[in-house]
Amino acid sequence: MNYHSPSSFEEASAIAAGASGTTRFLAGGTDVLVQLRADIVTPDDLIDIKHIPGVKEISRTEDGGWRIGVAVAGAEMTECADLCADWPGVVEGMDLIGSTQVQGRATLVGNLCNGSPAADSVPGMIAAGCTVTVTGPEGSREVAVEDIPTGPGRTVLAKGELITGVTIPARGEHGGDAYLRFIPRTEMDIAVVGCAVNLRLDGDTITEARVSLGAVAPKALLVEEAANAIIGTTLDDAALDALAAAASAACNPIDDKRGTIEFRTHVAGVLAKRAAKIAYARAKGESA
Amino acid sequence: MPKDSGIGASSKRREDVRFLTGTGNYTDDINLNGQAYVHFLRSDVAHGRLNKVDTSVAAEMPGVVRIFTGADFEGVGGLPCGWQVTDKHGNPMQEPAHPVLAQGKVRHVGDPIAAVVAETAAQARNAAEAIELDIEELPAVIDMKEAVKEGATKVHDDLESNLCYDWGFVEENKAAVDEAFEKAAHVTTLELVNQRLVANPMEPRVAVGDYNRATGDSTLYTTSQNPHVIRLLMGAFVLGIPEHKLRVVAPDVGGGFGSKIFHYAEEAFCTFAAKALARPVKWTSSRSEAFISDAHGRDHVTKIELALDADNNFTALRTDTYANMGAYLSTFAPSVPTWLHGTLMAGNYKTPLIYVNVKAVFTNTVAVDAYRGAGRPEATFQLERVIDKAARELGVDPVALRRQNFITEFPYATPVAVEYDTGDYNATMDKLLEMVDRDGFEARAAESAKSGKLRGFGVNTYIEACGIAPSALVGQLGARAGLYESATVRVNATGGLVVMTGSHSHGQGHETAFPQVVADMIGISEDMVEVVHGDTANTPMGMGTYGSRSLAVGGSAIVRATEKIINKAKKIAAHLMEASEGDIELKDGQFTVAGTDKSVAWGDVTLAAYVPHNYPLEEIEPGLEETAFYDPANFTYPAGAYACEVEVDPDTGKVTICSFAAADDFGNVVNPMIVEGQVHGGLAQGIGQALLEGAVYDDNGQLLSASYMDYAMPRADDLPSFQVDHSCATPCTHNPLGVKGCGEAGAIGSPPAVVNAVVDALQRGGHNVTHIDMPLSPGRVWQAMNG
Repeated sequence: MNYHSPSSFEEASAIAAGASGTTRFLAGGTDVLVQLRADIVTPDDLIDIKHIPGVKEISRTEDGGWRIGVAVAGAEMTECADLCADWPGVVEGMDLIGSTQVQGRATLVGNLCNGSPAADSVPGMIAAGCTVTVTGPEGSREVAVEDIPTGPGRTVLAKGELITGVTIPARGEHGGDAYLRFIPRTEMDIAVVGCAVNLRLDGDTITEARVSLGAVAPKALLVEEAANAIIGTTLDDAALDALAAAASAACNPIDDKRGTIEFRTHVAGVLAKRAAKIAYARAKGESA
Repeated sequence: MPKDSGIGASSKRREDVRFLTGTGNYTDDINLNGQAYVHFLRSDVAHGRLNKVDTSVAAEMPGVVRIFTGADFEGVGGLPCGWQVTDKHGNPMQEPAHPVLAQGKVRHVGDPIAAVVAETAAQARNAAEAIELDIEELPAVIDMKEAVKEGATKVHDDLESNLCYDWGFVEENKAAVDEAFEKAAHVTTLELVNQRLVANPMEPRVAVGDYNRATGDSTLYTTSQNPHVIRLLMGAFVLGIPEHKLRVVAPDVGGGFGSKIFHYAEEAFCTFAAKALARPVKWTSSRSEAFISDAHGRDHVTKIELALDADNNFTALRTDTYANMGAYLSTFAPSVPTWLHGTLMAGNYKTPLIYVNVKAVFTNTVAVDAYRGAGRPEATFQLERVIDKAARELGVDPVALRRQNFITEFPYATPVAVEYDTGDYNATMDKLLEMVDRDGFEARAAESAKSGKLRGFGVNTYIEACGIAPSALVGQLGARAGLYESATVRVNATGGLVVMTGSHSHGQGHETAFPQVVADMIGISEDMVEVVHGDTANTPMGMGTYGSRSLAVGGSAIVRATEKIINKAKKIAAHLMEASEGDIELKDGQFTVAGTDKSVAWGDVTLAAYVPHNYPLEEIEPGLEETAFYDPANFTYPAGAYACEVEVDPDTGKVTICSFAAADDFGNVVNPMIVEGQVHGGLAQGIGQALLEGAVYDDNGQLLSASYMDYAMPRADDLPSFQVDHSCATPCTHNPLGVKGCGEAGAIGSPPAVVNAVVDALQRGGHNVTHIDMPLSPGRVWQAMNG
C-alpha cells in the first residue's frame, strides 16, 4: 500500500488519476480505516487529504452562505454557533453519526462519498440545497449533493475525481430546516428512515420548501411532490397529511430485520410531518 | 439505622477500585514468555461436508508455528455434556460427539475447522486465510419445527433424528391435566417465542495454555465462571490430564451471564497445543468471533394453556415447548429447558395440575445454554403472559386474578417436584403497588394522551429456584456433577484472614460481601478479611458461580468454615484464660468468660495458635485453618412482583419505559447496595430482551445480527431510573445466612412486565392486540397495531 499526503487537491487528483489499483481518499477515516483494519478493502494507494491547506476550515462565503472543508469533523460543526443558528438541520444530521469519538473524526464529505442510502448527513444537505465542488483531471465543477450518490456504495465521481468542499447556501430571512431519523434506539444505529425538511415563510405561509428522505430508496431522495404539498400552505393538518402521503409515495425501501417495507413507508410520512413542524417553528424563530 | 459494617451494611465494593483504575488482571493481561498466538479458521457456512482442509500453503506463511486440524484431535476426547436428560419414554437423550476442531462436517457458522499457531496474532490470521477448504454445502437446518419433521436433513448423521429428547414433566400427571382441561370453565391459550439472545459480556473470552516441560504440569488461564469445573471436564474428558497435573486459573473476569460457565473448544485447544508445542499458546476472541462462538441463550417456541374454573381459580397448566440446542450440546444445555424450566412452571400460584412437554432440537446454529436466569425467565415469561391474557379475556383485574391464586402457605410442594420453603407473595405485591402509585395511573395516561401517546401498565410476579443445588437431587435428575460449594478460612498469626472460596466473582462483588459475613461473625473489621478465588491451585474444589448460588451455597460454606474457626479459637481462648470452653463468648473481636471481666483479644488467640508456647497441644493442633464443604438441603426461592409503565407512540410503534419498579424477596441481605446493583443489571438485561435484543438467523444459517450494528444492547438511555425494594424478606429456612440469591431476578421478572404494559397500552388505545413477540421493536409494535 502506498500512502500519499498531497499538498493540493490538484496533486491528489493527479495521484488518483495515475493510480492503477484500488484507491481511497483518507479524510476522517471512520469508514476507510475501519474497512482497512477489517480486511474489507486494502487500498493500493491511500491518499490522505487532511494536510491540504484549508481542509479543516469552516468559512463564510461572499453571499452569506457557508463553505465546509473536507476534513472538518462533525464535532467542529456542532461547536460553530453561527452555523448551528443558520442550518440546525444540516448540523443535527451530521451530529447523529456515530459516537463522541467518531464525531471527532467523521466528515460530511466522507459520509456522502461512502454512498450509504442511510447516511445521516445527506438528506439535510440535499434539503438545504448544498453543492459540492468536484475536482478532477478536467478541472473543477459544482454538483448538487443529490446528484452525487447513484446507489448503495456508488457515486458519480470518476477516476481521479474528488470532492474538495461543501457549499451551503445563504440562509436568508424566515427560513428553517430540520432533520429527523428513526431507528430502533436513540443513537449509534443505522437509520430506518431519515427525513430533512427545509422551508421559507412569508408570514405564516410557506413559500419555498425542499424535502429529502434517506434510507427508503437506493439513494437519498429529493422529493418534489412532498415539497409541493406544503408550499403555499400554513402547514395545517391537510398540508401535513398531504406531505406525509407524498413522502410515503416516494419510498422504495427494502425489507430487512430493521423494518419492513410497509413500516418504513409509513414512518417516512410520520417523520416528514414531524420534521416539517420543527422546520416551520424554526423559520418563525420559535425554539424547537 | 443502616449498619456501617458487617452483614446488612452497604460496604463499598473494594474490587471496583482496581476495575475502575485499569489495574485489574484479566486473562488478556496475562502474557507468558515465548507465547504464540492462535487464530481459529471458522466455518462460514452453516452445514457442510469437509472434503478437504489443505494447510500446505498456509504452513509456509511467515511466522507460522504449526497448524492443527480435526485430524490432530482424533485420539482426543470431545467436549463433554454435563447433564443427561431422560426422555418421556425413559430413554437417555441423543448425545452427539462434539470435537474440539471439526471432523468430517461443519455444523454452524463459527464452527472451528483449523487452528493456526503463529508468532503473532496477525501472522496467525493471515495464514488462516491461506488454508484451502473444500466444503460441500448441505441444506441448513434452522427452524426447529422443520428440523423434527420426518425426512429432515440431519445435523448429526449418526443420530436417529434432530430430536435430542422429548421430555414430559410430570409424565404421570398428563392424563389428569388433560382431564382438567376438559372440565375447565375457561381456557386461555398463548403461543409465543422466547427469542435467542447473545450474552455479550464486556470482556470477550480469552484462553492462555501453558505447559511446564520440567514438571509436566499444564496450566490454563481462562475467562471462566468456574475454574474447577473446567479443570474436571477438560482434564478428565477431553485431554486426559489428572487434576494434580492441571491448574486452571480464572483471574478477573469481565462478566459472564452464564456464557462463561461452559467448557469451550478454545480452552481445550490452547492447553493441548501448549503441550504439543512446549510453549504458551494464547487466544483472544474478537467481538465478531464471540457472536458466533459463545453459547447463546433462550430460543424457545412455546404454546401454553391455562385452565380456570368458574370462580377463576387456576385448575391446570399445560405447555408445549421447542427448545433449541444449536448444533452441539453445550455443557449444561439439556438441563436448561427441563429442570431449570419445567420445575418453575407453578410460579407463585397454587395451580394443582401441571404438565410440561419440551422437545429439544438440534439445528445448524450456535449452541444454546444457560443465560442469566436459564430456563426460569422462559417459565416466568410464558406463565405471566398467559395469566395477563386470561385476566383480559375474563374481564378481571390482572392483580386480583394473581392474588386469588397466590400460594399463601409454606412450605408448599408444587406439582412440579420442588418445595418452596418460604415466601409472602401478597407482601411483595402490596409493596409494589405502593411503589408505583397505581391509583394515579389514569391521570398519567390522560397526560400521555395529550401528546398523542398511549400509556400502559403491566404487572407480574416471578419465582426462581436458586442456590443450586442439592447434589443428591440433581444427581437423580441427570447432573453429572455435584453442586456443593467449598471454603477454606485461613487465619494468620496476626489475626487477619484469607477466605479461599470455590465460588468465582465476575462482577458479583464477592470480595466485598464475603468479608462482611466473616467479619460480622468474629466482630472484627472487614478489611482484616481477604478473599482468594479463581485459581484451582489455591482454592478448594468448588463448583463456581451461576444460578444465583454464591452467597447461598458458597457463603454458607464460608459460614461453616468460620464456625469451625471460632470453635477452635474458643478452645484456645479458654486455655489462655483458664476457663471452661463452654463459658467463652466472642463479641466484637474479644473473647470473654461469661460472668467475669476476663478477656483476651482475637489477635492474642490467633498468635497463640501459631506460637503455641502456652497452648493445649494435647487437645488440639496448632494453627487456625479450616475447610468446609456445604451441600444445600433445598433450592432457595427468591420471588417478587414487578411493574412497568410504558408510553407507546402510535405513529411509529416506539415504546418508552416511563417507570419500572421491582419488589423482591431475597431473604436476608448482606450488602443492600450490591443487591440493588445486581437488580439494576438484571432489569437492564431483561428490558434489553423485551425491547431490543434478538439473534436472528436467515434460512441459510447466517447470523444476521452478528455485530453491535445489528444486535441492539440496552444502554443507559434506553432505561428509566429503577425503583427497587427488598424489604419484604422471608429468610430462607435451610441455609445459615437465610439468603436466597439476587443475581438473576431482574432478568427473570422484567420481560413479562414490559410486554404486559405494552399490550395494555395498545388495548387502552383500542387496538385488539393480545401478544407481540419480543423484542418489541417499533416495527413489530406498529405492525401489531396495524394488523
